[in-house]
Amino acid sequence: MTGQLVIDPKRCVACRTCELMCSFGHHDYFNPRLACVSVFNYEYAAVTVPVMCLQCDEASCAAVCPTGALSRNADGVVVHEDAKCIVCKMCVSACPLGNIAYSPITKNVFKCDLCGGEPKCALFCPTGAITFVESDEVLAKKRAVADNFKKTLEEA
Amino acid sequence: MKVKFFATYRQIANCKDFEIEAPADVLGLLKVLCRRWPEFSNKIVAPDGESLGADAIVLVNGRHIQHLDGVRTSLANGDTVTLLPLVAGG
Amino acid sequence: MAVGNAWIGTVLRVDLTTGTWGTEPLRMKDANDFVGARGLGTKYFCDECDPNVEPLSVENKLIYMTGPLTGTAATSAGRFEVVAKAPLTGTIGAANSGGHFGPELKFAGYDGIIFEGGADHPVYLYINDDRIELRDATHLWGKDVHKTTDMLIEECGNVRVSCIGPTGERGCLFSAIMNEKNRAAGRGGLGAVMGVKNLKAVVVRGTGPVKVARPEGFLRELTKARAIIQAHPVTGTGMAAYGTQILMNILNEVGALPLCNGRGGSIFDHADEISGEKLSETYLVKNQGCFGCSIACGRVTRIPDDSPYAGFGEGPEYEAGWSFGADCQVDDLAAVCKANFICNEYGMDPITLGATIACAMELSEMGAIPESDIGFPLRFGDSDAVVRLTKMCAEGEGFGKLLELGSYRMAEHYGHAELSMSVKKQEMPAYDARAIQGIALEYATSNRGGCHVRGYMIAPEVLGLPIKTDPLVTEGKGSLLKTFQDLTALCDSVGICLFTTFGMGLPEIAGQYREAVGSDESDEDILLKGERIWNLEKRFNMAAGVEKDTLPPRLLREALPSGPAKGKVAELQTMLADYYEVRGWTSEGEPTDEKLEQLSLG
Repeated sequence: MTGQLVIDPKRCVACRTCELMCSFGHHDYFNPRLACVSVFNYEYAAVTVPVMCLQCDEASCAAVCPTGALSRNADGVVVHEDAKCIVCKMCVSACPLGNIAYSPITKNVFKCDLCGGEPKCALFCPTGAITFVESDEVLAKKRAVADNFKKTLEEA
Repeated sequence: MKVKFFATYRQIANCKDFEIEAPADVLGLLKVLCRRWPEFSNKIVAPDGESLGADAIVLVNGRHIQHLDGVRTSLANGDTVTLLPLVAGG
Repeated sequence: MAVGNAWIGTVLRVDLTTGTWGTEPLRMKDANDFVGARGLGTKYFCDECDPNVEPLSVENKLIYMTGPLTGTAATSAGRFEVVAKAPLTGTIGAANSGGHFGPELKFAGYDGIIFEGGADHPVYLYINDDRIELRDATHLWGKDVHKTTDMLIEECGNVRVSCIGPTGERGCLFSAIMNEKNRAAGRGGLGAVMGVKNLKAVVVRGTGPVKVARPEGFLRELTKARAIIQAHPVTGTGMAAYGTQILMNILNEVGALPLCNGRGGSIFDHADEISGEKLSETYLVKNQGCFGCSIACGRVTRIPDDSPYAGFGEGPEYEAGWSFGADCQVDDLAAVCKANFICNEYGMDPITLGATIACAMELSEMGAIPESDIGFPLRFGDSDAVVRLTKMCAEGEGFGKLLELGSYRMAEHYGHAELSMSVKKQEMPAYDARAIQGIALEYATSNRGGCHVRGYMIAPEVLGLPIKTDPLVTEGKGSLLKTFQDLTALCDSVGICLFTTFGMGLPEIAGQYREAVGSDESDEDILLKGERIWNLEKRFNMAAGVEKDTLPPRLLREALPSGPAKGKVAELQTMLADYYEVRGWTSEGEPTDEKLEQLSLG
């Protein structure tokens, strides 16, 4: 996999530019309801969280798909092929994170395809709340978490 | 004389204001500030070293130095110089 | 220009008297000539409404209008305009708001809504794409804006809410129309127009698209414009970090902070206590953006529970920070925040309310208002009194009934209309017109009375955006102001936030507009539409019998006693003559037939 979207909710200002640019990137028009990324705002906590498909290594959506319309491409992205899809929406139920959805407007299911390697949500996010990082960088971050774990265990 | 900082310049100087013996002119003061807080260097003085940084606002006794003698505006003890980055609101 | 390109092509017309509604095609020629939002809403209003209509009658129409860029990813394009004849001023009332309501209306399939007549009981309009209902709002009447919004979301699901608070229901002359709780179409009292129509709220859920004429070109233009905005020190970093309140200290430094209803000196020793810097160190929880906005100047603020001013909400903006703070000599930031929270919750314009309280403070100190009228001694500097009077006005209780008329009518009641710091009965905001000559001209000529967002001369005169001019001189201010007014009319009308113009200018506005609507007009042709809008508004005001362009006598005669602008008054007459000339108007300030002809307004 070439890269991964990473979110930093502390930086999110709830402007929803990601939703707009996602829909524009996929449809050439603006409609947040067709965005693969969704921004959730918690008013009293003053927290906003953008959520999108994380391209699970064990992708439930692909596993449950009866027609093979969902599959992993060479870049490691779980992509949806319209031609093979019968719109049974099993994937919508199967995704444990709610990151694949059905649109009554397009009468189709849709999910994040990382915009072919240049995700618009990250590209246009004004604050860095969504970034697209090389997988190596993600591993480095994981390593830091592991290091922390090791340290904690050693101290215990 | 008194030097006041606002907005992010306050964070750089880590104080709201301070007293200093008046240098000859504004440019002299800016150079003193850059020596004292190197982070000011690429902000309040332009790369040529002779003019005001593009995103800096400097007031002498409440008047923008552009309407005085620019960075050559002379200073005297008793003056107040206000420094801030370009800001806006409304 | 064609339906479907930036425009939805549909306007919803609601007759509240009969409880019926229908859709009609958007008048595309007008959309082209008057751009959208402020301009187009005003055009519809002028065509349909008698200029002499009583603002607080059901004959006054109320128009919500979006712009062609509203709902797109153009720079900060979440704006919409509400237009009616303004109760406070009797001028054309056009109030602009951000948030997410405007875009949602377009997603639902409407460029705008025209409300006519009045309902015989409280109602709210429910829009869910093409499903429209006028629903009973009896249970919402009397509820504040936050409660109303929560109840409507509970009732209707995932909707955006625009509503009034109790002040709008009561006819407070500066009641606002609020959306997403804390965003306001704030000035001129348009909330009261909704109130008189028995229209409590408009809720909308939309699932459709907003298209643009040339997607590739539009992507190029918005990418370019966004990059400029994000790289600019003001729109890229400054406003996110400090919000608009960052102006408090600098306006104080240049001696232009109006103090004590304009009576006081020019330097507020405690300005730093109510500044943007202080807010960031204390009550700021986070900054927030409106729809599609990278500037994100919004302040989410919380006053801790152990404070007498405990609360949670948004703001204050600089203008409210000044009106409740410096103008009333209050240096308690928590009190300023609290007064601002109450304004949001009850739907009031904090500029007018704060300035009206400051006016009452002066009248009270003069002995012109008996203490028994207010119920307690009122002096400048009393933060408790500011919060208390804000509550009284919100509830329409006691002296609050006079406050809700605004400073002009209140001061007139006590025989001192001259001490109302207002133009055309609307309070001027946070810049002393004696210390900044161009803003004096702007206040005097603004088509909606005392206002700073009809041509923000503070940008060139104080901040140096895009060029620095001397605030103490009058030369050249007329022509500069004309450009600012026309550009602002254009900016408000395309549907993007005026704050974008701190970082970008006409090329970026026109560039995004052209690709969205599919036009090949030049920048100058597009700016001319701004001038057309300005003249349309002016013509309405003349027909409505609005008073001539002037300022309160204090600003024309009482020189500033101290500070960098010591000895200055507002030198209005010289500037007015220049201004009328560059506008192509008569020396009396009336558009000539030639000018109207040239703008196709003949």
